[in-house]
Amino acid sequence: MNTVFHVTDRSVPLSAKARSRWPARLDLLQSGTGLALGLFMWGHMFFVATILLGKDAMWAVARFFEGYFFFGRSLYWLVSLIVAIVFALFITHAALALRKFPASYRQYRTYRDHMAGMKHEDTTLWYWQVVTGFALFFMASVHLYIMMTRPERIGPFGSADRMWSDLMWPLYLIMLFAVEFHGGIGLYRLALKWGWFERGDPDATRRKLRAFKWAITAFFLVLGVATLVAYVKIGIEHAPFYGQPYEPAWVTGGHQP
Amino acid sequence: MKVIYTDVLVIGGGLAGLRVAIGARRRGHDAIVLSLVPPKRSHSAAAQGGMQASLGNVIKGQGDNEDVHFEDTVRGSDWGADQQVVRMFVNTAPKAVRELAAWGVPWSRVRQGDRDVIINGQKVTITERNEAHGLVAQRDFGGTKKWRTCYVSDGTGHAMLFAVGDQAIASGIPVHERKEAVALIHDGSRCYGAVVRDLVTGELTAYVAKATAIATGGAGRIYRVTTNAVICEGIGAAIALETGVAALGNMEAVQFHPTGIFPAGILVTEGCRGDGGLLRDANGHRFMPDYEPEKKELASRDVVSRRMEEHIRKGNGAKSRFGEHLWLDITLLGRKHIEHNLREVKEICQYFLGIDPAEKWIAVRPAQHYTMGGIRTFHTGQSRTLKGLFAAGEAACWDMHGFNRLGGNSVAETVVAGMIVGEFIADFCESPEGELDIPMALVREAMQAERAKLDALLNGHGPEQADRIKIEMQQIMTDKVGIFRTGADLEEAVDRLQKLLVRSRNIGLRYKVDGPNPELVTAYRTQKMLKVALCVATGALARTESRGAHFREDYPQRDDSVWLKRTLATWKDPSDTLPSLAYEQLDVMSMELPPGWRGYGAKNYVDHPDTPNRASALASLREKMQGADRHAVQAAVMPYEHLLPERFRGRNERIDEKLP
Amino acid sequence: MSDPVSTPALRKLRFHVLRHDPRDATSVPHFQTYEIEEAAGMTLFIALNEIREQIDSSLAFDFVCRAGICGSCGMVINGRPGLACRTLTQDLPADITLAPLPAFELIADLSVNTGKWMRGMSERLETWVHSLQGDPDLRRLEERMDPDLADRIYELDRCVECGCCVAACGTARMREDFVGAVGLNKIARFSLDPRDKRTDNDFYELVGNDDGVFGCMTLLGCQDVCPKDLPLQTQIAFLRRKMARTGLG
Ligand SMILES: Cc1cc2nc3c(=O)[nH]c(=O)nc-3n(C[C@H](O)[C@H](O)[C@H](O)COP(=O)(O)OP(=O)(O)OC[C@H]3O[C@@H](n4cnc5c(N)ncnc54)[C@H](O)[C@@H]3O)c2cc1C
Ligand code: HEM
Repeated sequence: MNTVFHVTDRSVPLSAKARSRWPARLDLLQSGTGLALGLFMWGHMFFVATILLGKDAMWAVARFFEGYFFFGRSLYWLVSLIVAIVFALFITHAALALRKFPASYRQYRTYRDHMAGMKHEDTTLWYWQVVTGFALFFMASVHLYIMMTRPERIGPFGSADRMWSDLMWPLYLIMLFAVEFHGGIGLYRLALKWGWFERGDPDATRRKLRAFKWAITAFFLVLGVATLVAYVKIGIEHAPFYGQPYEPAWVTGGHQP
Repeated sequence: MKVIYTDVLVIGGGLAGLRVAIGARRRGHDAIVLSLVPPKRSHSAAAQGGMQASLGNVIKGQGDNEDVHFEDTVRGSDWGADQQVVRMFVNTAPKAVRELAAWGVPWSRVRQGDRDVIINGQKVTITERNEAHGLVAQRDFGGTKKWRTCYVSDGTGHAMLFAVGDQAIASGIPVHERKEAVALIHDGSRCYGAVVRDLVTGELTAYVAKATAIATGGAGRIYRVTTNAVICEGIGAAIALETGVAALGNMEAVQFHPTGIFPAGILVTEGCRGDGGLLRDANGHRFMPDYEPEKKELASRDVVSRRMEEHIRKGNGAKSRFGEHLWLDITLLGRKHIEHNLREVKEICQYFLGIDPAEKWIAVRPAQHYTMGGIRTFHTGQSRTLKGLFAAGEAACWDMHGFNRLGGNSVAETVVAGMIVGEFIADFCESPEGELDIPMALVREAMQAERAKLDALLNGHGPEQADRIKIEMQQIMTDKVGIFRTGADLEEAVDRLQKLLVRSRNIGLRYKVDGPNPELVTAYRTQKMLKVALCVATGALARTESRGAHFREDYPQRDDSVWLKRTLATWKDPSDTLPSLAYEQLDVMSMELPPGWRGYGAKNYVDHPDTPNRASALASLREKMQGADRHAVQAAVMPYEHLLPERFRGRNERIDEKLP
Repeated sequence: MSDPVSTPALRKLRFHVLRHDPRDATSVPHFQTYEIEEAAGMTLFIALNEIREQIDSSLAFDFVCRAGICGSCGMVINGRPGLACRTLTQDLPADITLAPLPAFELIADLSVNTGKWMRGMSERLETWVHSLQGDPDLRRLEERMDPDLADRIYELDRCVECGCCVAACGTARMREDFVGAVGLNKIARFSLDPRDKRTDNDFYELVGNDDGVFGCMTLLGCQDVCPKDLPLQTQIAFLRRKMARTGLG
């Protein structure tokens, strides 16, 4: 940059110390990973919720991701691979988002006081996004690690056993709320941040987005809790047979253990 | 003792001050600007309506030029203005608009084709020329023959001030904020700078400079009801007055704006009427055509204000618990127009009156608005009696407004004066006169004197309360030195103000800290403001005629035979309780436009004996030069171009007047 | 026509004002309560002046135009930044808490140094038209501009630098160097202006980082308190897209 600009009768070059391009890239990456994770979570929720349609449905979905219907057998590493990708997204996202965290207790206090005074929804929501993100950092890590290392246990009974007999349901319950709030707020913010769907009346867009966000969150929470209950119920019933995988009737010819 | 040296000390960070500083800076002189507040908060920001410059881009401005602007301004001034200064001004105003355009002011632009406007309460379609498309647009304003007021939607002053303020930042001009000049340092013939109080710490600093420019704006707050900001207290004028050497000119010439919202006094712009808004009385009757059949709502401000008060006196005012008022009706302009072009007005109505002006009428009554008088200077901006002291903007009286200024001529004046005076200040600094031999003893004395005054207030135990005195002064000014003036009222005012001045020397503070102490500030400012108020009141009492905004019920005639002169007020001795008045005769024989009827208002005046002579001399000159170019005629009638700084000479191009 | 001055029930108002003089070593920030009678059409400007005239002559606050134009009187009113002069008491509860705008250097009580902050921001972001020549020939016709474009620039030029957006911004509160909506809006304004010859790359130099547009976390406090209703949300999003594109390119 060596353009020279004029100020009254002087000429001054613009401060020319070519800035790094990284801030732009990181910002996009943060949003991109957030978007990918958010959309993935919506899909993820639908997949696990197939248990509400019956064990067979859920079983089919699980097998699907193992490539069962393409290769005729389960390639568990496929699942591990998908989880690993999500894990990578997750770690990248978390690392980038960490930059936005209050960097000290003082900053944290300042934000809390600010939030208490402002009583301003979007300001408050960000706080909850940080809190839930922080919680996810631990919980989702545990979850993702297990999924990655034990993909073969994903299924109507395997998952139900983990919920109940392995006592994972409290973690999942909290994680459900954390993810839905975090992702919902995140996607909403993403739209505002980049000015999506503005169409001339940003205020109206924002109002609509906010309503939509709450609706989506409510929907997924209901769906999530119902799903969790379904797994827990199966988990309780299946506790005596802990460890046995599910085989659909049409595979076993109607015989169930 | 803390001393800061610079080439040019500019007291005041409004449009005028900033533009002066930029002018000096671009000529290579260091400048420091002082301001009571961040400069972009100066009262210049409040100008909503616009800035006059005869660009003649809009169709209703076609045929406008310097000559028309000149005549409007001189008529508006009721022949009180210095006509050469007016000439300098009207020739530079278009350049000022164009400079500001280059600096980023988002002037509203002409759009070619048809548009609907309201003229005289009637919807009219006008067609803008294609060749004007994209040029700076003009709107109608009171007292002008042509549409001449350039504007930025309804935030003209704001946009101008921010552009000029940003240019000052770009030029690296330091602005020392929250600093108040409380006295000038001088030896009776030359000014060396100012004693400055830090409004945060209370500390005094001497600013020593080759040239000192006062651009502190108006003194509206000597009145109780005013459109002016709370910082427009006339302190700049007061410290010049307190030198005992510099004079204040025409302080009795105070403008009242017809449409201050009632009762707060907040201004709604003249643009409301310019765009077609009407004044109505308690019965909803549009009364202005009854009084002013030709110009109606758009006669000059002094005329409209007076007609409004007259109409209220006749019992036609709408009554409210705070007193009587009239209505401003802009509902006929339509919501779209109001929300787009008069948004600031809409906000003001909404936030301060709780009404929607697209549906309801606005309660208004005239309020003090503009200080035509100020520090008397030459056309260069330099004081005629104190070398090295300059003034520009509303604080100055180089005298382009005479006894009434036209709407839109004031922000134009600030930048034009800034441009011109900035050059002359640079000239001064570069001349032998500008050389500075700093008399340190003088500086020390001035500092000690101010310290002593402040200490007297801080340590004193007088019985008087500063804010009580101030309010009383303001009430006297509004009640007795207002739109209609009489000898009896003015005598009473002078008498009571004098007593207040004496009492103000006995103020005791309840809060005795020398830091950010609002009570202390009120105390020393009130002492100064009283002197300014006394200049207004004594000047008004002495002037036994009516001229422009100065209206004496007991002397309703304009009397050119006696009063075609400027009032000069000085404060000879600090212990005085009255200013000394002197007069400066205006020379009819050198006028381009000899006195006559303004074209609106009462046709009631006594001619100056020279007037017929001058008129016939001009008539024969014009006849001789028939067919000559208008510039040539003008130059023959009253040469002025030599007075302008070289940089700003030259004709102005217009669509219809191409430059070679 | 009806009486334009509405007649609310007159109440006793309790003002809880945060008092502190940072230059006085003995001063401790504390709330002081003042009681005054409400009046019809009372604004905080009127109320605070009444308190100063009648109860406490030492109370420091800033007003200039008192007409909502100059932006001097930003303060935190019941938790939210706003312009005091145009806040009617009738719109507030009887208990009114006033505090100085945070994020700016405190002068005393309700008075803060927004001027210094804004000047720093202006210098940093070079908020003026950068032209490639000196002044044009002032005698000639001005350069033309599309009327709509002029209006659009004015839309963004309306910022009064009151500081409310900065005080309402959680990001700015946590991170001192963040330029705030006021700064980002300025850049949007100048990048819209064809008279400013800076390119997107030049603007990236100024705001293409985490103290600039990428630091914004879209909390939208700015958008919701801006006394001038500037389209800050839209402008920042617009700038973010533009700067992201510039950063990639
Ligand atoms: C409500 C309103 C609307 C108006 N509308 C229009 C309009 O549409 N068109 C038009 O042409 N005119 C208009 N005017 C008039 C015009 O705005 C002013 O006359 C003009 O802006 C004055 O500019 P200035 O630079 O002289 O002073 P100001 O802008 O008032 O600046 C004065 C400066 O001096 C500083 N200062 C004051 N005293 C001291 C001191 N003792 N020490 C240090 N600094 C000091 C202040 O801080 C400030 O920076 C309007 C006026 C008002 C009140
Ligand atoms: C399943 C996991 C996650 C999903 C679906 C998800 C989703 C999102 C989305 C869509 C955004 C908006 C992106 C943006 O503003 O650019 C976002 C932002 C954010 N995320 Fe996540 N996220 C997840 C995990 C995490 C974790 C583990 C953390 C914590 C370390 C975290 C912390 C944040 C923070 C702090 C923001 C706000 C950033 C800002 O305001 O600029 N997220 N997230």
